[in-house]
Amino acid sequence: MGNKIQFIDRLRLGFAVSVAKSVTFIVRSLRLGAASVLPGSIARRIEPRLLQLLSQQVKNGVILIAGTNGKTTTALLLCTILERKGFRVTHNSTGANLENGLMTALLESTNLLGTLNTDYAILEVDENIVPRVLAPLQPRIILCLNLFRDQLDRYGEVDTISKRWTKVISTLPPETVVIPNADDPTLSNLGQQLPQRVLFFGLNEPEHYLEAIPHAVDSIYCPKCGHSLDYKGVYLSHLGDFTCPQCGFSKSKPTLESSEWSQILVGLYNKYNTLAAATAAIELGVDEVTIRDTINTFQAAFGRAEDLVINGKRVRILLSKNPVGTNETIRVVTQSTDKTTLLVLNDRTPDGTDVSWIWDVDTEKLVERGGTLVVSGDRVYDMALRLRYSQKSPESNLNLIVEEDLRQAIATALEHTPENETLHILPTYSAMLEVREVLTGRKIL
Amino acid sequence: MSSQNLELTIGWLYPTLMSTYGDRGNVITIERRAEWRGYDVKVLPLDQNATAADIKTVDVIVGGGAQDRQQEIVMRDLQGAKADAMREKIENGTPGVFTCGSPQLLGHYYEPGLGQRIDGLGILDLVSVHPGENTKRCIGNLVIEVTASRLARDLKEMTGSTPYLVGFENHGGRTKLGKVEALGRVVYGLGNNGEDGTEGAFYQNAIATYSHGPLLPKNPFVADWLIQTALRLKYQQEISLKPFDDSLAAQAREAMFKRLKVSLPAAAAAKV
Repeated sequence: MGNKIQFIDRLRLGFAVSVAKSVTFIVRSLRLGAASVLPGSIARRIEPRLLQLLSQQVKNGVILIAGTNGKTTTALLLCTILERKGFRVTHNSTGANLENGLMTALLESTNLLGTLNTDYAILEVDENIVPRVLAPLQPRIILCLNLFRDQLDRYGEVDTISKRWTKVISTLPPETVVIPNADDPTLSNLGQQLPQRVLFFGLNEPEHYLEAIPHAVDSIYCPKCGHSLDYKGVYLSHLGDFTCPQCGFSKSKPTLESSEWSQILVGLYNKYNTLAAATAAIELGVDEVTIRDTINTFQAAFGRAEDLVINGKRVRILLSKNPVGTNETIRVVTQSTDKTTLLVLNDRTPDGTDVSWIWDVDTEKLVERGGTLVVSGDRVYDMALRLRYSQKSPESNLNLIVEEDLRQAIATALEHTPENETLHILPTYSAMLEVREVLTGRKIL
Repeated sequence: MSSQNLELTIGWLYPTLMSTYGDRGNVITIERRAEWRGYDVKVLPLDQNATAADIKTVDVIVGGGAQDRQQEIVMRDLQGAKADAMREKIENGTPGVFTCGSPQLLGHYYEPGLGQRIDGLGILDLVSVHPGENTKRCIGNLVIEVTASRLARDLKEMTGSTPYLVGFENHGGRTKLGKVEALGRVVYGLGNNGEDGTEGAFYQNAIATYSHGPLLPKNPFVADWLIQTALRLKYQQEISLKPFDDSLAAQAREAMFKRLKVSLPAAAAAKV
């Protein structure tokens, strides 16, 4: 924090910034995209310490948000809370969460002299680059939402990631505030080991326990001693109320009493996002009334439980990009009375090229209730096979429609949706962007 | 013998410890294909609570992948009488499909990127070594031609064409085969070690492969081979399986061959 930049750095920074801004201008005027990555990438070549030079100018500090699921929604909520208090907030809102995306977001709020004029920077960070960006960013608050298996093709294993996080967070200044998810054994353990100030968030609402531990579970073994954890109950995946019968490790106590808080949007996972953002906002000195008001009037980020009306029919997009997230979106769908669902499975880089994870999703719940399931996407047949093998008998009451062409698949799904029902669309990340493009007639990224 | 009387017990190796990424799909595929034919199917978890006697009751074994820490927990548990039972089952021809981490477990040892060497059961003559944290993982779509002679012959008999398997590999470890026969040769992808063109291993009736998450849905004839072999061994008689409409799997295979620009003999591409 503060403005302690050498003159020579300032010159080079100014040059890097003006080049980046020209790139943004060109990209946008030629309608080549939203310029969410390229400007940062170029400016960084001119000034390699760009991330550090920009982030140290953020007046009230950088808030870093990491975790497998919920980064965008949590960031947007915290952003909205702070803006409501009149703060200027910089946020990598397009979801570009690698280094170039972070820099591009910061550059947006920087003038041509290289002066960053913002009160807070809320940065969503991909779990794998956390170790690389902590030193240059020197965040004031780190929110650790959860760690689920996701895109193993890129990163390997959950254990490896949490080890790296613990190691590098411990080297940050003691005044850094770390806010981990108490219900995630790996992150609870991380918080318990850190020398910094740690505030936990989590649920304390046994009425929301799942009936059984879902299949897509990563850490049900004690992160300290390796013994099986005892769960009083599970909220989603491996998040729950646990203790280790061998070494006594158990869930940390959350700062907020979750039952006293309402939540943004649908789905229990959004309760976690709400509690994470609220804990951070209180730490930043925001009053509870403002936080609660923001929660009650919150609008979804694109593709996250986003509601649209298309040709007079309601459509709800529920981003479904990994087993835990998809199990939760299936929970939302099966709790509704709507009987038409479109699943779109892509295997591009932002989705993860390995689609094996669909076999960890409990699609049986979706298939058992019958209705119409339309599938599409690059890996349409993989998804179709997953649904076929979710049927208890070779013949069932399921109407499974396989449609390679996404535009046609959307049209077919809409046709099958009665006037008074909602069409639920469950897409992977790149599929979500395509679906939105078809539905709203414009590109996002 | 009517199918109603036939029972099939699927032994699933450490379902919570060794199911890193969609490996459960292999269990589901065998389970459904047997159930749809009217057999009584039971899935028996072969985990810490299972005994050596439990292991002896299973007709077909499915094993998936594990993270290194979980693999260590498994290896500590699978010792003594339980290890002997597993060895005896595989030596006596119980069919099984072992993907990702499981072949490492059945081999002599696995050396993780970090930490100590983990000893395996030594059933398959192979060793696996992770060349270190900074080495690239072997990741991507995989197509192999089954070359393990007896399996290749059986599968050819079932489908009427050369057997090709479509899968996805995602592994850090590199496997070197000893005297054990390879499952197949790599047509597209990296396979055991990215060097010698081999993929997986085949021993007695155990299929070991890096094609994980999962292998069987897109190669349903392998699932049927496992079921048929299990029932033949159990009931000591030839069992013929009722065919299904596997057109979705055929389309999935065709789509992948087309995308990877893998050209196969026309008959082989279409058959499942």
